[in-house]
Amino acid sequence: MKKPAASRIDALPQRSLWRLLGVMLLVIAPHLLRLPPWESAAVLALGVWRVVATRRQWPAPHAAIKAGLTILAFVGVYASFGRVWGQHPGVALLVIMLGLKLTELRARRDVVVTVFLLYFLLLTHFLFSQELWTLFYLLACTIAVTAVLADTHHAGGALPARLALRIGGRLIAQSLPLMLLMFLLCPRIPGPLWTLPDDAGAARSGLSETMSPGDVARLASSDEVAFRVRFEGAIPPAADRYWRGPVLWAFDGRSWSAPPQPFTANPPLQLEGPGYRYETTLEPSRTPWLFALDYADASALPERTRLSSDYELMSWKPVNERLRYVAQSQPRHRAQPDLSDRERRRLLTLPAGYNARARALAQSWQQAGGGDRAIVDRALAMFRDEAFFYTLEPPRLGRDSVDEFLFQTRRGFCEHYASSFVVLMRAAGLPARVVTGYLGAEKNPFGDHYVVRQSDAHAWAEVWIAGFGWTRIDPTATVSPARVEQSLGALGSGTRQAREGLFGALDWQTLRYQARSVYDWIDAQWNGLVLGYGTDLQRDLLDRIGLGNWRDMLLALTGTITATLLLIGGLMMRKRRPAAPTDAALRLWRQATRQLQAQGLPQNRGEGPRDFADRVARERPALAAPVRALARAYLQARYEAVEPTSEALRELRLAVDALKR
Amino acid sequence: MNPHLQDAVASLSRIVLGKDRQLRLALSCLLARGHLLVEDLPGMGKTTVALALARVLGLTHHRVQFTSDLLPADILGVSIYETASGNFRFHPGPVFTQLLLADEINRASPKTQSALLEAMAEEQVSIDGQTRALPQPFFVVATQNPSDQVGVFALPESQLDRFLMRISMGYPAAAAERALLTEPERRDLLLGLAPSLTPEALIELQREVQQVRTAPALIDYILALVHHTRAHPALQHGLSPRAALALRHAAQAWALIDGRGSVIPEDVQAVFAAVATHRLQARSAGTAPSAQDILAAVAIP
Amino acid sequence: MNGAAAHPLLDGLRHPLRALRLRIERWGQRHGRSPQASVTVQRGRIYILPTRFGLGFALMTLVMLLAATNYANSMAFALSFLLAALGLVSMHQTHANLIGLTLSAGASEPVFAGDGARVIVNLGNASSVIRLSVELRWADGGTLAVHDLPPRDTQRYELVCRTGRRGRHPLPMLRLSTEYPLGLFRAWTTMTLRGALLVYPQPAAAGPLPSSDGSGQRLASQAQAGQDDFAGFRDYRPGDSPRLIHWKSLPRTGRPLIKQFESGSSTEVWLSWQQTAEPDAEARLSRLARWVLDAEAAGARYGLRLPGSVLPPAAGAAHRAACLEQLALFDAAAAQGRDRAR
Repeated sequence: MKKPAASRIDALPQRSLWRLLGVMLLVIAPHLLRLPPWESAAVLALGVWRVVATRRQWPAPHAAIKAGLTILAFVGVYASFGRVWGQHPGVALLVIMLGLKLTELRARRDVVVTVFLLYFLLLTHFLFSQELWTLFYLLACTIAVTAVLADTHHAGGALPARLALRIGGRLIAQSLPLMLLMFLLCPRIPGPLWTLPDDAGAARSGLSETMSPGDVARLASSDEVAFRVRFEGAIPPAADRYWRGPVLWAFDGRSWSAPPQPFTANPPLQLEGPGYRYETTLEPSRTPWLFALDYADASALPERTRLSSDYELMSWKPVNERLRYVAQSQPRHRAQPDLSDRERRRLLTLPAGYNARARALAQSWQQAGGGDRAIVDRALAMFRDEAFFYTLEPPRLGRDSVDEFLFQTRRGFCEHYASSFVVLMRAAGLPARVVTGYLGAEKNPFGDHYVVRQSDAHAWAEVWIAGFGWTRIDPTATVSPARVEQSLGALGSGTRQAREGLFGALDWQTLRYQARSVYDWIDAQWNGLVLGYGTDLQRDLLDRIGLGNWRDMLLALTGTITATLLLIGGLMMRKRRPAAPTDAALRLWRQATRQLQAQGLPQNRGEGPRDFADRVARERPALAAPVRALARAYLQARYEAVEPTSEALRELRLAVDALKR
Repeated sequence: MNPHLQDAVASLSRIVLGKDRQLRLALSCLLARGHLLVEDLPGMGKTTVALALARVLGLTHHRVQFTSDLLPADILGVSIYETASGNFRFHPGPVFTQLLLADEINRASPKTQSALLEAMAEEQVSIDGQTRALPQPFFVVATQNPSDQVGVFALPESQLDRFLMRISMGYPAAAAERALLTEPERRDLLLGLAPSLTPEALIELQREVQQVRTAPALIDYILALVHHTRAHPALQHGLSPRAALALRHAAQAWALIDGRGSVIPEDVQAVFAAVATHRLQARSAGTAPSAQDILAAVAIP
Repeated sequence: MNGAAAHPLLDGLRHPLRALRLRIERWGQRHGRSPQASVTVQRGRIYILPTRFGLGFALMTLVMLLAATNYANSMAFALSFLLAALGLVSMHQTHANLIGLTLSAGASEPVFAGDGARVIVNLGNASSVIRLSVELRWADGGTLAVHDLPPRDTQRYELVCRTGRRGRHPLPMLRLSTEYPLGLFRAWTTMTLRGALLVYPQPAAAGPLPSSDGSGQRLASQAQAGQDDFAGFRDYRPGDSPRLIHWKSLPRTGRPLIKQFESGSSTEVWLSWQQTAEPDAEARLSRLARWVLDAEAAGARYGLRLPGSVLPPAAGAAHRAACLEQLALFDAAAAQGRDRAR
């Protein structure tokens, strides 16, 4: 192919270029909101420049300008993110490079590279969101991008838009069954293959191994699903739905954390009373914590998990894909009746020089005597009787966060209560720790499952009381008992519902709730079956049809793909055979001649119908009458007029039928 | 079929024995308003056919024997200077007739040939700046010897194209030849032949020919044939659009003689050899496909 | 093709796909079928290889698959698999784009050696599917032409074919290829159509024609002038055109006289192998070809005398073609043998 003349800056006809720009906008659009504003503006500006440059036939920019822009892009991304690798900076770079590619679309190669970049950019969206609607976005975008690619490769002018879209649509439609087979059968290697960048995946809220004031409150506004639960058999009452997550014991005056501990044998745990068995589907959290009701049964742990010395259910490695596990718990228990001195010291440590007033208060309780239980009650009584408020928007706290909370602001969220309660307990000489996790579970009326959202995140305290072992104390419940009974979202909406009820308006709340439930059910299926389809689910599913191992999977994959391709290829080939005649009379005639051919009487090439009938009559006198009638009817139908009349066609059909008999 | 036409065919086949096919072709050529070229060795009855046609159709006819010294004026006519009146007076040549029998046309010089052929194409004659219309209907039936004979000027391709059909008689079948030898002279029989048609009836028939229906499927077939000749590697040139039109007209006439109101592929096949072969030129001698080859190679759409 | 000077192995390393394609083609040439008048592209005769874009696409899909695995991202998997499937499907589409196309060769005019011969090729699509971006060219290069073939239609294309030696040559091999729809694969097939290219010897540089007596006088100008040379009078005969009457003498003589002209076509010239002075047979044929052209242009009647064959004097395009064909097909080796034997 000849290189286009230097004066032209486009390898594409204008129409194709507009299409390319349109599709580019479609693919980049969701990113534009996530990118630093300067970059979104720059990419849009480059697009506008491209349109004007093509319209006005401006010459291509000088190489130095392009190089300068590229360096600027790198500098800009570095300035915005502090680095140029990782998920966010990577996407930012990819988008800006795509924008810069617009300055050089001279050869077909440039256009193809651009289109390939578009395909790749499509992938990056799914690192941010994999919700159900992205499936439709994926299909729409691949069809559009493929249509552009087809347009690019069509020599001699832009394809009509509808034809290009049809080509793209047909290609994607034919690819879908293959994609489905690959998705189901292609053996999944458990990831990650290399260390994920820290910012990998969607900006995921969730509990972590540290807790600073405000962390849980931030979660409370997130509607994201943390996990879903399906109970087998009995369902625990709302007050027992404490899902244990990271247990935090180290305090630095402001934040709680869980520094790694030397591995110790599991502490003794006696479980009593009724138990619950449930299947949990955990959204990827990128942490090793699984969530189980207090306390998980160590004898029935899910695969590849362990119970930590703080009774946390831990996966062997961080949960990077949706994980499904079955656990068993019993809320009545007696945990770790004996505490070693070393453990005791660890759980009584408080940073020196912080929160002096709280410590003084706690020490006064200790001195007042009355035993461990009395101290706990004193503390709870304080929260209950004095003017403490439960709020999602607590005031900011300074250095002595516990002191400020207890004696000044008195407005806080669960983490404030849990944190200050544990500080008070430790100061009073009781071993205590903060437990984070989720409280509650909302039933979905369409599925038989319960949903736990990030807004259900909660923090509570555990105090070790001699003779009883670890005892759960939830100071928040003292301040706002409703929090325990209802999920936080319901708590907030309750007042609104009451208000609307006053006006006798339509019960929008219920409708919304139902809609949300339906969506959640669909979303649960989507999450569980599609997004959760990873190494484990694949093995489970394929085991059931006897394809449990890799070899069988690969065999089945190759077999089914080959069969599907053969089918598709066969259909294509069929369509590319000489077309069936559009003429009804000719179709009938062919039908008849095929039949005669089967009887050893083929019509020769170039042999007229009447001559053919005469020859058949000579060779097979028995057929003389019907074949002559057939030829007569055919000639009448086909050559008598511009369009065969319906009578003529009927005659012909009769003649064809007569021949069959 | 038109009874007069039937009568004409019957009369013709009484004179020319065993040559039904050629007679029908000749008749359909004239019905399609085309000129006819009869090519064969001397003594095969070319002239007899032409004369028989003239008589049966009831046309006035002239016969011109072409020779190498025949001048255009010998055919078209001359303006002769009359010393008495001091004026030129036009003496019409033999071309001013309804049926001109041009015997051995290829013996004349190219100049004379082209004078005749121009008259055939335009149906009028221009002499000394004056245009004179030829009578209606006007036909030329030319006979020619095969070109490999000595002393002939082969008609150029562009002029062959002016003949709608070229037919050759071929040797008569055994029975026909016997009859030829035993029965009275053909020329004598000719004299006793009564015309089956009048010129007016002939013109009417020509009009009917044009009304014979050609369905789109049939036009497709003609186009397929024409395209095939154009794509044929052994042929120098394919059939021209004029040839395609000729094929259609001839097929219509053939269908009419066969008593049908619409053309079927067999009609096209029947006239194809006569209409097409003289318009096709082989790339090199002896490699040209026969009309049968072409018909057998083209599927009827 | 560019880079033909490079070592084949080096070239193969630089353009592995093209090298592979050529290798397959050479194999196909060896196992090719005899030329046919009309060829319908069959499934088994189509070769297919990825293009460099195809390889890039595969690499991209692989990288996407790795990314999907790394992030354990189901939608990323779906996209990667969709693109992998797209590659496979587009391969089938590319392959199918050529199936059932019918090629036949049409007429080709004879040409002089060194000129481009124009060969008509008919490309037919009998199916009900439009075939986009079908490329037709000679297998050994030539300009590329890309065509869209509407359903149930036959298109006529003119391909220019370089000619080398004189003679009657078979048509060179044709290549029909396509990268439709996405340019990821290139499917192609080669075929040889029945047909011949008649190549006349290249005419030598202009030079004087030999005269009938061999003295080499300038016949061309004489013949052209002779077209309307006045030759004398004769008596009027009926049928003579009034235009030829010599009116001036009419009152004097009392009878019309006809002006007689001599036509140039009466000039006859023999072009003969023996008259050529060139040392080798091809050069002599070139000289003769030049003479044939000049004699025809001059309006002369000319004959051609070659060792072993004689064409009697005549004029006109057909005669010219016949003479040039004689020259094109002349068996020089046999003629030399005859010369030596003499």
